[in-house]
Amino acid sequence: MEGRPLVRWSLMIYTGLFIVFLYGPFVVLAILSFQAGPNGGPQFPIIHWSIYWYKQLFSLNPPSSVAPLPIGDALVRSLILASVTMVLSTVLGTITAQAFRRRFKGSTLVFYLVVLGMIVPGVLVGLGVALVSNSLDIARTWWGTAFATHVVYTYPFAFLVMLAIFNRFDRSVEEAAWSLGVPPGRTFRKITFPLIFPGVLSAMLFAFTLSYDEFPRSLFAAGPDLTLPLAIYGTFQIEVHPDIFAFGVLTTLFSFSLLAVYGILMALSLRRARKVAIQEEAA
Amino acid sequence: MLRRIAPDLPVSIGDCDRERVPATVSYDLELRDVRKVYGNGTIAVERFDLRVERGEFISFVGPSGCGKTTTLRMIAGFEAITAGEVLIRGQRINELPAERRPTSTIFQNFALFPHMSVQANIEYGLAVKGLAPAERRAKARGMIEKLELADVAARRPDGLSGGQRQRVALARSLVVEPEILLLDEPLGALDANLRKSIQNELKLLQRNLGITFVFVTHAQSEALVLSDRVVVMNRGTIEQLSTPYELYRRPKTPFVARFIGRNALIGGRMIGLSDGLCAVDTPHGALRGRGNGEDLGPGDAAIVVVPSEAIDIHPAGRSGGMPDLGRDANGLSGQVISSDVVGHTLFLVVRLGDGAEVRVESHVARYAVDLVAVGCDVALSWAAEESTIIRQD
Repeated sequence: MEGRPLVRWSLMIYTGLFIVFLYGPFVVLAILSFQAGPNGGPQFPIIHWSIYWYKQLFSLNPPSSVAPLPIGDALVRSLILASVTMVLSTVLGTITAQAFRRRFKGSTLVFYLVVLGMIVPGVLVGLGVALVSNSLDIARTWWGTAFATHVVYTYPFAFLVMLAIFNRFDRSVEEAAWSLGVPPGRTFRKITFPLIFPGVLSAMLFAFTLSYDEFPRSLFAAGPDLTLPLAIYGTFQIEVHPDIFAFGVLTTLFSFSLLAVYGILMALSLRRARKVAIQEEAA
Repeated sequence: MLRRIAPDLPVSIGDCDRERVPATVSYDLELRDVRKVYGNGTIAVERFDLRVERGEFISFVGPSGCGKTTTLRMIAGFEAITAGEVLIRGQRINELPAERRPTSTIFQNFALFPHMSVQANIEYGLAVKGLAPAERRAKARGMIEKLELADVAARRPDGLSGGQRQRVALARSLVVEPEILLLDEPLGALDANLRKSIQNELKLLQRNLGITFVFVTHAQSEALVLSDRVVVMNRGTIEQLSTPYELYRRPKTPFVARFIGRNALIGGRMIGLSDGLCAVDTPHGALRGRGNGEDLGPGDAAIVVVPSEAIDIHPAGRSGGMPDLGRDANGLSGQVISSDVVGHTLFLVVRLGDGAEVRVESHVARYAVDLVAVGCDVALSWAAEESTIIRQD
């Protein structure tokens, strides 16, 4: 590297471009969210800087011709949906990965069946769910059909994360526990789980963010009550105001805070792992 | 491999070299015709018979893949037993899950709980047994002191040295007072010096505790030093089960003769008995040695096993003549092709007339080094008593 300026420069340019494409849209969004209101539109130049559109989100502005953004309920729905999906997918993914620690008959088939959920195009899955529920006369709801499709979609991710974690897991630690007289269930709770917990956190993060963002499956499966991505898409159908950008900024900050929570939990779990004491056992 | 050598002597393998014991005695550990076949049809262990008395230190030794670890894991309850029976103190434990067996296992990587302190590691088994906190603390403390772990009791396993981890693993397993301690290559992860000292500690510990140790290793030296009896395994079956001394002095199969000690193996055909010794016709003339209670008839393919330490070297000297070796001695002649001195030991490799090579070990002061240098002609001899005649398989 030292002696190859060409390689170094091209790598630097590549990295720079990567960062621009990664963060560029967000930066543009963030700048435009500070557009003047209520007459400023979603384009440059900035008339003057203001936080009008942020206030608009929380209905703090005097009445104007711009209607409030109809996403409040959708946000709540999406948060609930993502949380429940996260829990179920992580539990299923962990259990399935645990099963895969031993070879069993048909394990390859089961593996591909599970992974299929993230490979099949979302639009097709959504469409399929819509057709099936129509023909079976099942009502399409965000907490029913959409929830099921979200789990089918996020469960493989959680499964793969846990599979990788178990791959590196030293089985003899569990065997040591058994040989000390610890029954398998307790071994899993007290020995295995604390050791795989960082992996469980990662699986949860995956499942949450994937579900929170999910669009194509929800589009067909969610029914009349929209999830957040659908609601945002819906606002584009009328007139786009910078309040949607303000919301974009806030929701991105929310994602970052999720990452921060993940980081903190990770650090805590590592520290707590160092402190899990016998006292728990006394209870 | 394990075919019975003397069909008229109905002695099962488990009985090898054991005194006959009254039938009422129940053994600490007993394996009856144990067999392990994996799902893909691989036979890992076959015809494994073993009876271990309380307080015995028994080793399973053999090359990797010989089934020694699998057998240990069947005793521990980590592997299902395909056929046969495992009994601990007369009780069949085939179906008992690992956590309910009165065994405890030490693993090669020690398998300490990384998220618990040394103290917590040691107390954990007691906590699960339902001991009151004060009681288990006292017990753990006793074990910590016994194994000199007081300094590190509050530390996490990842901050410990190999020897310390080893002792934590021992403490953790012993504190739950198992009937039988199973050790799976416990010295494998340690460096040579540490291995030596821990080896001694282990032996002392076992003597003090008086419980049965089953020790798996691929290092014959560990097995020979530590054990009361050694099971030599090869390809899933027992090659020989005897005391280290017997194993070393009287190997029963060519495999054992090659695996244990440093023996020269010279093939030939049985001639017959003379003066209580077997005589074998080899390309180097007739060689004699002690039989092994085996039914070897004239003409049977046989191997003369000569321990390399038993061999005397007779430099041909300037005359080049073959020295007289005496009536009871066996002799070979050949040319030195390698000569190394390590400390006080002289290691020679002598190539015989037919190209076979014989290793010789001797004290360095016994010979003038220039007479046993590479290229010198030498004669080798040993007392016929020292060598063993075994059947070629």
